[in-house]
Amino acid sequence: MLFYSFFKSLVGKDVVVELKNDLSPGDTRSAHATGLWENVFSYLEDVDKGIQEHSESYLSICGTLHSVDQYLNIKLTDISVTDPEKYPHMLSVKNCFIRGSVVRYVQLPADEVDTQLLQDAARKEALQQKQ
Amino acid sequence: MSDSEQPETETAVSQPQWPENGGQWSDEEGGAGMDECGLAEMAEEDEEIDIYNNETFGMEVVDTEGDPTNPLFQFGEKPPALPALPSLSPSSPPFSPRARPQLRVQGPPGRRGRGQRGGQAMAQMFEDPAVVRTVEGRPSLQVITIARSIVSTCREMLFSSYVGVSCNGDVLFTQVGGLPSPRPCPSTPQPLTPKMMQLRFGANSPRPSPFYSPSSNRVQRFRFPGPVTQLHPQHRRLLSQRQQRSQRKPDSWDPYCNLMSAKEKEWIIRLQMIQLQSENPHLDDYYYQEYYRRMEAKLAEEELGMRGKREPPKLTTPYVTKMDSYTPVVHIEGSLGQVAVSTCFSPRRAINAVAAHCPHEELKDIRQQRLDVLKKIEKVKYSKWHLQGVEAEEEFLPCLLVSKGKQLLARLLPFLSHDAALKVLSMVTSHLPVLMSRDSDESLPVLYPSLRIVIGGMTFSQLIGVLKDFTASLPDSSDGSVCLSLVCQSKFGLSLLYALLSQGERLLSSDVPLEPSIGDFETWTDTVFLVASQLSQSALVEPLLLPSNLLTLFCRYLDKRTIHQLKSNMESATGYLALPS
Repeated sequence: MLFYSFFKSLVGKDVVVELKNDLSPGDTRSAHATGLWENVFSYLEDVDKGIQEHSESYLSICGTLHSVDQYLNIKLTDISVTDPEKYPHMLSVKNCFIRGSVVRYVQLPADEVDTQLLQDAARKEALQQKQ
Repeated sequence: MSDSEQPETETAVSQPQWPENGGQWSDEEGGAGMDECGLAEMAEEDEEIDIYNNETFGMEVVDTEGDPTNPLFQFGEKPPALPALPSLSPSSPPFSPRARPQLRVQGPPGRRGRGQRGGQAMAQMFEDPAVVRTVEGRPSLQVITIARSIVSTCREMLFSSYVGVSCNGDVLFTQVGGLPSPRPCPSTPQPLTPKMMQLRFGANSPRPSPFYSPSSNRVQRFRFPGPVTQLHPQHRRLLSQRQQRSQRKPDSWDPYCNLMSAKEKEWIIRLQMIQLQSENPHLDDYYYQEYYRRMEAKLAEEELGMRGKREPPKLTTPYVTKMDSYTPVVHIEGSLGQVAVSTCFSPRRAINAVAAHCPHEELKDIRQQRLDVLKKIEKVKYSKWHLQGVEAEEEFLPCLLVSKGKQLLARLLPFLSHDAALKVLSMVTSHLPVLMSRDSDESLPVLYPSLRIVIGGMTFSQLIGVLKDFTASLPDSSDGSVCLSLVCQSKFGLSLLYALLSQGERLLSSDVPLEPSIGDFETWTDTVFLVASQLSQSALVEPLLLPSNLLTLFCRYLDKRTIHQLKSNMESATGYLALPS
């Protein structure tokens, strides 16, 4: 429950959520997440060329954290996309729900995080898990 | 959800024969086998739906023919389908065993775009029944009908959801409002599907928990996560502050809101939140609780600094008053609860019973008042009797066991005649052990002032008589000093003793003729010796008043050693010098 607790404390703060873009052949959910066929094809091109990582093609959504649940699904309100030209379909979207499993990164405001407390919480969690 | 819906649509799809090539698909009106009227009707609906889609998603996507990069196609398919999808030429092989239709749309660009989108969407729709998209373009009537039925079914299923467009479930793009109200499809006029009924079941669920506070303000840009979510008060304050700060112009009315009733929303939210309940929130939710507790403390500190030095809140342990358990007034050993004691016909029995069994309790309320009344009557009776010279000593004692009785007696004493008062005094001294042992609330000292006055008026003989009681042995004890040792432990008793001795000394040292009876002096000296030895041996309590002539008395009778011992003992009890020697 550590991450849930942590994210709960960030409700109401502005975050940037970067989504996964892994397109391993068996993983199509992420492909749906980004949804861009061009991504798919460019990835495939890279695969042909032997490039492992496909950079700079991740969808990042900036918004206010509205809520979070135990699966770390995130609801963002008042969102804006970092690269609207690349992801124009998001222009009209105001709120979104992001499945937790496709989140790669969540960029947080640094002053809203108490790292010391986080460490304490992590230790507590580890202790609990041991028991 | 999508999984459960898939079989439904698949059955619908399996019936028609999907053409292998896209040539069957035509966007020309009056195509083979089409009913013109029905088609026109559906086309109208299509347009309306398209308008909605455009408004929702904003963009008029103009695609070139066969352009696979239409961004509106979020919904990828299974891997085998993926590579094949972009090639929309009629000659391309089908994607999947289900023979996806190949769409080739010709017409005006705008329409083409829509058609293409629609066609592709339709293609995908059967893969993903959760998609709400309508078919644009001019496929055959049969296809249209099937498509429409599926669409309307999907729509109705999603009627209660918050979702505008959904995919396989990874990313849902929502509008604040949601779907438009479903139009009745001409081909399949369906009432509520069972699925929808299930969804509606949520509305019949029990009311939300008491801390629900519905947020009815649609104007807010940021809404609270939900009525069932419990936020730390500090967190809540922060959020509301933010809302106040970022007050923008109110949004225009959203025509697609309120598709779900508040109850339904609560129900769904509660479903989730129930899983998050924990017995030990401080441990499970440690970071959140601690974070906001610290923030609160910090803010409080800052506030303190701003308002000047204020006393920091003391960490007080709240004193929990023990609930008064019912204690029966009259209790007999081995019995349960209160014993019924008749008070109407035999008040004395009630009083005695109470006094005998509950000596330590202060009688309260009605019982107390009742007893008071009784005692007052008793006192009046007693004084009347005493004026008449009737002995009523035995009746007096129970009164004295109650503190109120003692107070009353103390008030009564000055009004009694000297003889009556003496009788009272002798009674007190003779029953002193009983009185002392039962004086749990230490209310005996109230008698002291009045008795002292009485003592002050005593003659020597009377004094001796009273003093005898002090040295008298208890009925069950042969040791005469038991009483004295008890007296030493009692403030009242000791003070009374001192008062008596002081009076005796005063009488002896005065010039007033004593008129002693025979044996009085011996008794006096004996008493003094006894008292002195007892006082020097036992630990003394602090008396109510230490008469100044006591040590003088002792000096006359006792040796120096005993006097020193006595003096130190008395001084240690009182804390100051008994007498400047």
